[in-house]
Amino acid sequence: MGRGMNRAAPSRRAFLRGTGVALALPWMESLPLRAAPAASNKPPLRFACVYFSNGVEPVHWWAKGAGASMELGPCLTPIAPFREDIIFLRGLYNQAAVASSSPHLGRCPNMLSGAMVSLDPNDIRVGTTFDQVLSREIGGRTAVPSLVLGIEPNELRLEDGVSMIYGSAISWATATRPATKEIYPARTFDLLVGDGAGRQLDRSILDAVLRETHSLQTRVSRTDRVKLDEYLESIRDIEKRIERASREERLEGWRPSITKPDMTRPAEDLPQDVPEHMKLMLDLIVLAFQMDKTRIATLMLNNDLSQMNFKFVEGVKGALHLDLTHNGKAPAAEAMYLKTNQYHMQQFAYILDRMKKIDEGGQSLLDSSMVLFGSNLFDGDAHSAGQMPLLMAGRANGALKTGGRILDYLDKGDDNRRACSMYRTLMDRMGVTLERFGDTDKRLTDL
Amino acid sequence: MCVPTVAKACLLLFCLIPATADSTHVFRQYCFGCHGKSSPMAGLNLVELTSHASVAEKFQQWEKVAAALEQKRMPPEKMPAPSDADRLQAAQWVRTRLRDYAVRNDGDPGRVTVRRLTSAEYAYTIRDLTGLDLKFERDFATDTVGGEGFTNFGDVQFMQDANLERYLTAAKTVADHAVIGAGPIGFYHDPGQSGLELSAIHRIQSIYRSYGFRAASGEGGKPYGLERYSKAFFAAWRYLHRAALGEPAGTLDAAAASEGLTPRFVRHIWSVLQQPSPVYPVSEVISRFRKLPAPQGANRVEAAARTGCDDIQKFLLDWPRFLLGAGGAAEGGQGDERALVLTGDSIQATPLQRFRFAVRGRRQKTTRLYISTVSANPDSKDKAVVRWRNAIVRFRGADRSAAGEQPLEALLDEASRKKLGLGAQPSTAPLEFTTTADSTLFVDVATPETAAGLEFQTEAAIVPGVSGDAVARCTISDREEVARGRPTSALLAQRGPAFDAWKAGVLKFAADLPQISHGEPTPSDRDPIPAPFNPTYNQPERDLYHIKVKYYRTDGFLTGNMLDDATRRRLDHAWNDLLASFGYHDAILYFVAEKFKVDLKGKVIAGLDAAAIAALPAEPRAYIQPLRAEYESVQAALRAAQAGHVEDCVRLASQAWRRPLTVAEKAGLRAFYARTRQAGGLDHPRAVRALLARILVAPAFLFKLEPASVAGARPLSGWEMANRLSYFLWASMPDDDLRRAAAAGELASPQHLERQVKRMLADPKARRLSTEFFGQWLGFYRFDQHRGVDTGRFPEFTDELKSAMYDEAVSFFEHIVRNDRPVREILFADYTFLNKPLARFYGVNREVAGAGFEKVDGAQAFRRGGLLRLGAVLTATSAPLRTSPVKRGDWILRRVIGTPTPTPPADAGSIPADEKFFGGLTLREKLAAHQTNPACAACHSRIDPLGFPLERFDAIGRWRDKYSDGKPIDDATVTHDKAPIDGVHGLIEYLKTQEKQVLRTFYQKMLGYALGRTVMLSDQPLIDRLVDTGGDKGFARAAVEIVTSRQFRYRRESVPAVPAPRLAEVKRTSKEGEAKWGEE
Repeated sequence: MGRGMNRAAPSRRAFLRGTGVALALPWMESLPLRAAPAASNKPPLRFACVYFSNGVEPVHWWAKGAGASMELGPCLTPIAPFREDIIFLRGLYNQAAVASSSPHLGRCPNMLSGAMVSLDPNDIRVGTTFDQVLSREIGGRTAVPSLVLGIEPNELRLEDGVSMIYGSAISWATATRPATKEIYPARTFDLLVGDGAGRQLDRSILDAVLRETHSLQTRVSRTDRVKLDEYLESIRDIEKRIERASREERLEGWRPSITKPDMTRPAEDLPQDVPEHMKLMLDLIVLAFQMDKTRIATLMLNNDLSQMNFKFVEGVKGALHLDLTHNGKAPAAEAMYLKTNQYHMQQFAYILDRMKKIDEGGQSLLDSSMVLFGSNLFDGDAHSAGQMPLLMAGRANGALKTGGRILDYLDKGDDNRRACSMYRTLMDRMGVTLERFGDTDKRLTDL
Repeated sequence: MCVPTVAKACLLLFCLIPATADSTHVFRQYCFGCHGKSSPMAGLNLVELTSHASVAEKFQQWEKVAAALEQKRMPPEKMPAPSDADRLQAAQWVRTRLRDYAVRNDGDPGRVTVRRLTSAEYAYTIRDLTGLDLKFERDFATDTVGGEGFTNFGDVQFMQDANLERYLTAAKTVADHAVIGAGPIGFYHDPGQSGLELSAIHRIQSIYRSYGFRAASGEGGKPYGLERYSKAFFAAWRYLHRAALGEPAGTLDAAAASEGLTPRFVRHIWSVLQQPSPVYPVSEVISRFRKLPAPQGANRVEAAARTGCDDIQKFLLDWPRFLLGAGGAAEGGQGDERALVLTGDSIQATPLQRFRFAVRGRRQKTTRLYISTVSANPDSKDKAVVRWRNAIVRFRGADRSAAGEQPLEALLDEASRKKLGLGAQPSTAPLEFTTTADSTLFVDVATPETAAGLEFQTEAAIVPGVSGDAVARCTISDREEVARGRPTSALLAQRGPAFDAWKAGVLKFAADLPQISHGEPTPSDRDPIPAPFNPTYNQPERDLYHIKVKYYRTDGFLTGNMLDDATRRRLDHAWNDLLASFGYHDAILYFVAEKFKVDLKGKVIAGLDAAAIAALPAEPRAYIQPLRAEYESVQAALRAAQAGHVEDCVRLASQAWRRPLTVAEKAGLRAFYARTRQAGGLDHPRAVRALLARILVAPAFLFKLEPASVAGARPLSGWEMANRLSYFLWASMPDDDLRRAAAAGELASPQHLERQVKRMLADPKARRLSTEFFGQWLGFYRFDQHRGVDTGRFPEFTDELKSAMYDEAVSFFEHIVRNDRPVREILFADYTFLNKPLARFYGVNREVAGAGFEKVDGAQAFRRGGLLRLGAVLTATSAPLRTSPVKRGDWILRRVIGTPTPTPPADAGSIPADEKFFGGLTLREKLAAHQTNPACAACHSRIDPLGFPLERFDAIGRWRDKYSDGKPIDDATVTHDKAPIDGVHGLIEYLKTQEKQVLRTFYQKMLGYALGRTVMLSDQPLIDRLVDTGGDKGFARAAVEIVTSRQFRYRRESVPAVPAPRLAEVKRTSKEGEAKWGEE
């Protein structure tokens, strides 16, 4: 990987965006959804990634056997009721993460892209993550291209001279720009529920500033123009969303199981209670999928280097990163660290449970989804990124065989165990085919 | 600028240094082994570093290399090392290259990516633009930190649709708060229509407060502004005696100005004093004025004249109170609900009055009753004589039952009987006595023990003939000072032409010298309300008035005799807005129709044309006609203001965009408004709100745009300088003075810049430099939302304490900034800022007033003072459950000394979170592993010794003498450069020896914050100059030196500007594209 974006994106459009060149996109008439596949009676495929930071204690993370008799390590016990719905992935890794000299920030923002993280304070650069490639390529089919959610805000400091944005974003819209992470449940809800009606005035306001921005473009420096391009693109994205939301395209074929939200609007303020906050964000992903408002979502349960205080879990005291991950192997602290990861695992179990119970005409929402769960580090205390603790769930409309499988790539050779090759496979399923992504041009075998 | 001179001097210096040969071979031989291409130690790749032609890009690494060589820290012991000569030469080679580059590029503005407003800047800018504090979410613009560690670094200010949506929402929220009425656009903290109403009331009341006056009336009403009378009389006195006072050219207007009064008011008072044949009580005022002392030569008697004017003012207030029996002004009249308005109705006199005066409770064996007769027209030739008769007393028992009734004379003691001309013995003859103005007599009434009160009844009649034209107020009270009691009183006079003339004189007085300059816009229960409403207290019509109509304008005296024209216009606008803000006219119309039983057939005021009104019966028509006229004028005023509002928006855009607009931009804004009204079909207020939102979501508002320079560096324009200055020092837009200076071209001059910097730093807005710059640099940014403390372990760490610690830190740096303190006080100050809860928490035994923060000197005595002992800093550098000497040491090394160690290796390991898992060891003993393990020691021998001295502050910044388990605290240590440190005091002493390095860090951070970029090698000469003048330099001086530096005043591009690619929607681009922005 060079400094550029992931090289393989087939569309010229994507390339232009990645390099920050002003787009010659006819924005007014291009609002039409990207030609959707022929109307089908099958539910569309969805992808979600639920991320937790700071890894696990390796001795707690294992699985043996298969199907109903699969045995799970202590960390994985909360997922036991769903053992037949998952694939236990062993040995996947990102080369660029291992190579980075920064144990945290060099290994977090690239989890979903396999890109090298620039540690030059003057150059914020990672790589477009595969969820955002999907968002760009097929996000236009839904009102909201993708959801990028989190629990904790961006941390406002430098870590070893490097911006903490790297620890606060796992979804990157371009190589140089994180996707804006939403941590407010109410705002997320509004995004899903709002229809384009009543936004005509917004459109005329945006239209006016869009034209004004064009006139500024010629007068600013090239680097500044990149920033104005971001602004222009933001306007276009909003306009497109307004347009899409106010139009109901679905004349035939599959329909979402609900058209109105089945939850009330969350309170305006940021929840003070972490469990409540996590549950709301997971519910919102389920809601978005169920209403088919988006088909792509990521959620960071915590930031990298998170100081999230886990005292809400019984028997746990202290902050996730400093106290619990780096626990000095004191048995009592180690036990608390395990509980935090079991808590993360419960969140995974929760969303699987919800998705499994939603019927979409003979099959569950989970059946038409792919849910990736995991962390960028394996041994959190040692910051090891040689393999990542990952689980997959969801049958991808039959394209993914779950059933409680263990896929072990650890001994298959580095070239055959790249996380990016799995991402390529997942993108294939979603209908986006790249010749190369991240550090590989291969696909993951057996998935 | 002296840059070229300095550069020359430095170059000269370099000529003296012997040319140093390329030392790459030294690195190849001794360093590449560990610092080579594959996984270089400490992230330092010397192969790559030496292959760069320029040292500028990674100059910090080069500096570390030089330092490591000089201090013989590298190569590590037991590894092959270069000879001392080679070592020195290599170090010198690096240093020379660094210095050479720095001098050659001294003052390079560097590349600054366009900066977007951070969340804080946005909120501050909106506040300064509109006066609104809208409480945007702290992080609503999704801030990120970059550069030298600040949110104002353009490269990390990303923009995506989600951010823009938030800006759009915020812009619309601001627009909702616009007040769009008859006057210019304003902003108010309540949005929409109710904002119009509340802002109007607010504006009206603030004009009334600032210009008017009012004796008390209304429940809890407090008098105000009455001193304006005394001042006006004094101004008149001064004008009268202008020649004697040595001001022969003095005018009334000048006298008014020197008293802080409007000329209109003083002219009014003057004309009252000049009237030819005044009648009582105006005549009394004039006569008192004439009796004021006159200046005599050097004796200006101003003080005496002032006292006299105060007395006249007192008379103005006392006399109506006397006349209306309302007690003396000395009492302030508080609690008296009556408005003291002398009107034809309120001045009623009678020849005969039957009094009933009640006394509650029994205080003594006798109850003393005062009966007074006071003339209301002392200029009359006659004295009032009043005859009293049929006086009886009724006692009330404890059960409030009537307990008999007795004639007064039966209850009087001997002395009282004598006063009334009765014999010593009680008699049954009916009592009758007379009083003459002005007199007061009292009688003592024997009161039985069983009585719980009494009622005194009597009849009083003015005696005709002998009393002539006299008017007298008769009062019965149980207090000598009637004001203190609840007296009953009446005005007694013979009715007739003489009385009418007297009354006319009183009304003239009331009109010329009233007690109130205006009625309250929201009448209280006893204030007058207009006809045809029934003004009786608690009657349905009055209640209806309060609920539906609410407002009543009675400010004729204020507008006629006090306000200047501009204020009058503002007041008219405000009243106009108030009446337009809800269905005021319809409410009155509805009431009139009900009252006079008129069927309006569902019509509202807007639908009543002249014909419909003409067809109404005379009685309602008399009310409805003027109502409709007022309605029309209100509507006309609103319409008339519309064009002005669009221009207000254009002006506001220039403020918000922080530069003059081009002709095309102005036209574009006007066109947007027109389009929104026509094509969008929105009404005027909504179209204006849309226009405001459009202005506030524009790139020119959200981004601090600076047009590209054609080639090389160019000086910033005045407007760009104004922006950089105000966002540096205030985190907000330029104020009026800065705008003026920008327009006048002053900001190209260092003298003017210096003046501006000093002015701006003294301004309260400079507190933001404390929150934004110091907060981010030192890590207490948004500490009031800090969540890093386990409150289960530390329940004392309440939200109140947290925000107190935050305030302490912010106030401390605000003090340094705004009072131009020496920069060394950042570390070494012997003061801090405390409020009561924080002082208590710190265990400070000093008197601290209350919730507010105050500066407390001599803080060393209670172990506070300076940066290192701030609660917020000590807490932010701790773990949730315990202190972390590593975090604290790293914080000092990184943020204060500015020489951070490299990232620890990934598998460094860690120590437990909680002291409870230390297995009986102290934290210090646990950390001893850092010293024994050589892999750790290289860095931790530098980090840990700086953290241990702070161990006597616990994890929430509180002083402690031992650990919670009783183990002693060892806060003595030795730094890596072998300096012994004993506790926090020793640490501070040690840092004094490192002052240059500390200053270097401070200036590096300040420069990075000011410029919004990382500090470059070419900034080193500037930083050297800043550092060289030492720590006694005042903060303002430091800021001036940064602001007047070339890097602050110039801009350059990293790459030349090229035209943007043609856009597909070019056909949509209007002529705005040809605006000459940037060429101002």
